[in-house]
Amino acid sequence: MNRLLKFVGGVVCVAALMPAVAGADDKEIIEYRQHIMNALNEHSASLGMIMSFAVPDDNTVAHFEAIALLSKTALEAFEPKVKGGESKPEVWTQWPDFSKRMKEFAQNSDMVAKLGATQGKEAAVNHVLDALPCKACHDIYRAEPKQ
Amino acid sequence: MMRTFNAFIVSVLATAVLLPKAACADDEDTIAYRQHVMKTLGALSAALGQIVEKKVVVAPETLVAHTQAMAVTAKMAKMTFQPKVLGGESKPEVWSNWADFSKRLDELTAYTDAVASAAKSGGLAAAAPKISDAQACKGCHDQYRQKK
Repeated sequence: MNRLLKFVGGVVCVAALMPAVAGADDKEIIEYRQHIMNALNEHSASLGMIMSFAVPDDNTVAHFEAIALLSKTALEAFEPKVKGGESKPEVWTQWPDFSKRMKEFAQNSDMVAKLGATQGKEAAVNHVLDALPCKACHDIYRAEPKQ
Repeated sequence: MMRTFNAFIVSVLATAVLLPKAACADDEDTIAYRQHVMKTLGALSAALGQIVEKKVVVAPETLVAHTQAMAVTAKMAKMTFQPKVLGGESKPEVWSNWADFSKRLDELTAYTDAVASAAKSGGLAAAAPKISDAQACKGCHDQYRQKK
């Protein structure tokens, strides 16, 4: 009887967990978009260190260039409607707003990278908030990272 | 009174012993910055790996942007190791074998440039064979990176 109860309990647990577990393809999609967002995050953190004079500013323009390139790839990474990771469901329920923000991010970061390339790092740094509106979007669409 | 004095002496000694071992703020920043750059390369390599293995499908212009971002980031890597600041996951051999280490980073820069050019001119079919060369991360990590 004990064995039967354990078996039934096991089956119920598996059944309850199944819908929450992403399939292999879904995991790849979530991991991929996390790689893109992590790369953006690391470049942003690097720029933050440069702007607070913690490290030399030689790479300023290069960081802006990399952010502009990666921002172009970010929206596509969210196009498959695969919930999970740190993305809130609102990414897809409010897709017009989310995608508009991502497109603006790509356009603005491209503009700032071009400013850096043509007018120098100071010009780019002066527009850093245009290039990196991360927090406004994260506040709405990103779940708190799990500790 | 004596107990307070003893506690004071102990804390002074402890501070004196610990001070030389602690990285100063500038050194911590230097380490943190190079870790940001190397983590970027790690994330981009992983994403490119998924594309090459066709675990995810991306538009041709996305592949180009990825490879260009990788090439831009690879160029920063050598500069982040130029200050001789031991710590993080870097083995001391980074600086004791600097000639070899910096040569490898120069090769990484050249490889990532080649991958970006291939992606732009010939898409995934042209870039994929070169990506396996460019992702020679392991060879370098085995020699110069501490196990986490």
